[in-house]
Amino acid sequence: MQSAQEDGSGERVGLGRLFAAFFRLGMTSFGGSTASWVYRDFVARRGWLDERGFLSAAALSQLMPGSSGVNLAVEVGQSLRRGPGACAALLGLLSGPFAIAVALAALYAKVPPTPLLDALLDGIAAGAIGLTFATGLRIARAAARRPRSIAILFATFLAVGVLRWPMLPVLLGLAPLSIALARWERAPPRPGGHA
Amino acid sequence: MRNPLGQALLALIFVFAPLSLLSFGGGGAILAEMEHQAVGVHGWTGAREFADLFAISRVAPGPGTMLSAMIGWKAAGWPGALAAALALYLPSSLATYLAGRAWRRWRGSAWHRAVEGGLAPIAAGLILAGGLAVLRAAPGGWPIWAASAAAGASLLYWPRLHPVPVMLAGGALFTLTLLW
Repeated sequence: MQSAQEDGSGERVGLGRLFAAFFRLGMTSFGGSTASWVYRDFVARRGWLDERGFLSAAALSQLMPGSSGVNLAVEVGQSLRRGPGACAALLGLLSGPFAIAVALAALYAKVPPTPLLDALLDGIAAGAIGLTFATGLRIARAAARRPRSIAILFATFLAVGVLRWPMLPVLLGLAPLSIALARWERAPPRPGGHA
Repeated sequence: MRNPLGQALLALIFVFAPLSLLSFGGGGAILAEMEHQAVGVHGWTGAREFADLFAISRVAPGPGTMLSAMIGWKAAGWPGALAAALALYLPSSLATYLAGRAWRRWRGSAWHRAVEGGLAPIAAGLILAGGLAVLRAAPGGWPIWAASAAAGASLLYWPRLHPVPVMLAGGALFTLTLLW
């Protein structure tokens, strides 16, 4: 099977197959592993996307707001079948987990609280909070290498996490500042540095 | 509008649609604000309920932001779940779709790197704030704080560890401790 990245030259992926592929992905991705599954399924196994197309889509999906797995589905669907492809991928990825989430919320509301259930959910929550911290710290390790980014990270955490200020004004203040600092830092060309 | 269902749906949309465009670095970034809005501002869930639904959403398949559908269901049933999920996923997906084409030309430019480098520490700070928000909502006291720290440390130390078994192990540990 050849790579179908070039418009029109490769195999045309049907919308139904696109939906089905993302539906399976949505039902089998746990704990934020969508990107690695997209790679395995769409690049390595089916050959619908080439490596470069995948990396570009993955980078954009992380930069844009929203869940990166969901954004990746939009990008992959768009690159294969434009607008309809993006819709098919999005619906495929989200419809199964949506139904399950609502069913679980309804079940949770029906089951009377018992100490045992409370303990079970507390333990799962502890693991899930640990996962959140690990994710945040992993991004922090990669992102906060300079004093200005460490300062921005702490300011964000302090304002939203500790002081519990509303997120919108905090972001409106910190995001432009942080981007401007990053831009300014890289602006002067350094002829002596590595290329 | 007099209709209480319509009012609840509007409130859900007004909470989740802006969050959709603010969730830089993924759903973890808006966790703190979701907790604040759902528990503190609108009372859609109690504090314990929010922590429980958070836990359930993390072991369920799909993106962790499906927590929005659970909160929407609590607030206004099926229509609420649909409104919350659409409000959370449509704006960011549309933005990503529109950015898709420009992206290929823009890639590698100085501004692109500045946006990436500038938003990354904010995303990290927001995600850590989200962990703290759920930790405060969870009623378990020090055992939850200790277990979260242990789970976070093990996931950092062993990056190949799958998160779902870690969460289930946490659930098993707390259940066994209670039965002991």
